[in-house]
Amino acid sequence: MKLRLAPYFIRQAIQNVRKNWLVHIVGVSTMVISFLIFGAFLLLFYNVDSWIHGWGDSLSMSVYLEDGIDGTAKEKVLSLIRGIPGAHIERTITKKQAFLDLKRALGREANILDGLPRNPLPASIEVVFRPSEGNKPDPGKLRKKLETFAGVEEVQYSEEWLNRFEGLMRVFRLAGLIIGGLLGLGVLFIVTNTIKLTIYSRQEEIGIMKLVGATDWFVKTPFLIEGSIQGVVSGFLSILILYSGYIILSVKKADILGLALLDFVFIPNSYTLTIFLVSVALGLLGSFIALGRFFRI
Amino acid sequence: MIQLFHLFKNFGANVALQDISLRIRKGEFVFVTGPSGAGKTTLLRLMFGVEKPTSGHILINGINLNRIGRKKLDLLRRKVGFVFQDFKLLTGRTVFENVALALEVRGERPSYVRKKAHLALRSVGLVKKEQSYPLQLSGGEQQRVAIARAIVNDPLVLLADEPTGNLDPDLTREIMLLFRTIHMKGTTVVVATHSRELLQETAQRQVILNRGRLIGEK
Repeated sequence: MKLRLAPYFIRQAIQNVRKNWLVHIVGVSTMVISFLIFGAFLLLFYNVDSWIHGWGDSLSMSVYLEDGIDGTAKEKVLSLIRGIPGAHIERTITKKQAFLDLKRALGREANILDGLPRNPLPASIEVVFRPSEGNKPDPGKLRKKLETFAGVEEVQYSEEWLNRFEGLMRVFRLAGLIIGGLLGLGVLFIVTNTIKLTIYSRQEEIGIMKLVGATDWFVKTPFLIEGSIQGVVSGFLSILILYSGYIILSVKKADILGLALLDFVFIPNSYTLTIFLVSVALGLLGSFIALGRFFRI
Repeated sequence: MIQLFHLFKNFGANVALQDISLRIRKGEFVFVTGPSGAGKTTLLRLMFGVEKPTSGHILINGINLNRIGRKKLDLLRRKVGFVFQDFKLLTGRTVFENVALALEVRGERPSYVRKKAHLALRSVGLVKKEQSYPLQLSGGEQQRVAIARAIVNDPLVLLADEPTGNLDPDLTREIMLLFRTIHMKGTTVVVATHSRELLQETAQRQVILNRGRLIGEK
């Protein structure tokens, strides 16, 4: 194909878009909605995943001590924890302190504790792990070791429920793939039909072009560009609207989602680039399918 | 230039052409004539490769149309001009753009397209109407645009299907004069017509069809 025909093809594609602007607006709108649904899902997934990984990186552990533990046993436990690289003792909580913390947490309902014959809460040690490179503690192993110590009643660590979250994220990821796949197919269907409509509206013109010696590719190329234009516009608008939505939500997140304490970030550039490229590719592929069907007739 | 060997064409149960064998030499001017339904249009469409014969062979400039692929047929059409009875002009494009289309599909440079399209329109006397749209023109002018488009590529063969069918006698003479001018430049011209007046005024070769059969020549 001659390169000097490129301006002609682009001109033809733009003219086609202008002539069939209503069809293209419907097509682009539907594509934008589809990409927005997927983009919103991706945004949510990316943030939840980062929060979970963030929590995973700052693993915490509570070591509950038996009542009446002597000072030597407690010191042994403390020195073991201090010996673990990356482990920091956040605070040691006495039975009395634990009771006061609970009372404060209960607020007006604290009087329900008044009837207790004795303080049921154990003393504990709060440990936070800040793993450095090549130095990730194994909390399961550590718990087993600590639970063999005299005076240690129970050990709980945050990764147990993080693991449950990881399972949820796997389901989330799978759901994302299914939603993305279905939306992708939907977009492909829309583009194919949009281009088919423009082909039908220009059927006579195509026939005449063929009669004066136009090759199939000469006729097809403007339609492929037309599909790509639809993809470019849809991809760009989707990202723009998604980003605007993100900005609005970020400002109001404390009011709406109560997520003020969590860092809500926009999807990385690689993701936005992928959305854009997928949009263009689907536009191109949709036109290709439409043309394939048309030229087979 | 054009050779037909035992050509048959059926449309379902209807027989359009039966056993047509014909030879048209390079630079010849031939009328294909006969009553309506004789098979004139089908014969021209077969020569142009728009229809495929049921059996038999068609050679255009030595190329067997049965044996060439779709792409080569597209390229061959650039050497064969076709003038349709209903003009087949793009109503959304100007006169100039309609003529330029035949050059653009060949991938010609814009400067060359401008020059050639302008020359073709000058040869049919429509330079002043270059920027008009086909529906703003008379029937005769539209036919001249169609002829300009058919000759803009300097075709080896010019096929015209009832080119004066919708025109009055004055415009018919005008269009026939154009064909003769094109023929004088060396193009092989084949015109299908059922107009007795037109045929009475000419001394050119006439191929007569009736009910799909070649029944004689003048």
